[in-house]
Amino acid sequence: MNAGPLLTSVVAALAEVRLEAILIGNAAAAIQGAPVTTVDLDFMFRATPVNLAKLKKFATRMDAVILRPYYPASALYRVMNDDRGLQADFMPAIHGVKSFNSLRSRAEKIKLGGRALWVAHLADIIASKRAAGRLRDKAVLDILEKTLSEKSKPSSEA
Amino acid sequence: MRKANRHQKRKSALVALRKESERAELDLIRRRLALPVEKRMNFLRVRLPGGGSHL
Repeated sequence: MNAGPLLTSVVAALAEVRLEAILIGNAAAAIQGAPVTTVDLDFMFRATPVNLAKLKKFATRMDAVILRPYYPASALYRVMNDDRGLQADFMPAIHGVKSFNSLRSRAEKIKLGGRALWVAHLADIIASKRAAGRLRDKAVLDILEKTLSEKSKPSSEA
Repeated sequence: MRKANRHQKRKSALVALRKESERAELDLIRRRLALPVEKRMNFLRVRLPGGGSHL
């Protein structure tokens, strides 16, 4: 399925509520050219009280609900709207990445629908998947590494 | 003798298959990298009610 319209509306809603978040996971890898798929959009954000209020506003704009599926074991916030096929996971911490600032310092900013979207660097996505060590993460490591290697070659990016 | 020959043939076929698979994978990555960002958006899978998902 084409994620363009959904991702554009997510990026617009994030910009409207001024919530700073970085796209991570397979969605970020796919945008950078990796041939992988996913059922959700994963974001890293700072879980400050102000940002949590912004997250509620974001969910309202997307006609979505916020769930805490793994509370209290995990600080993950899941924003869902089944009718639109939206599942956006917001995480304050991810495996293999020191901090939000360190992730952002290497992230790439892309334009989507006239708004900016921060996309985590492929090397950080690989590091987080390697650190998480789940079978589904290990399964895509090889293809992500090959994509990073191809991307690093001077003439590969259009 | 015949059995050893068959084993050797199978081994070389598997090696060729692995090489071809790796070449096709690299080709897929290169084709995706050549696309602009807005054309790399076909990554979202749709969940099915009874479990599973599709593109």
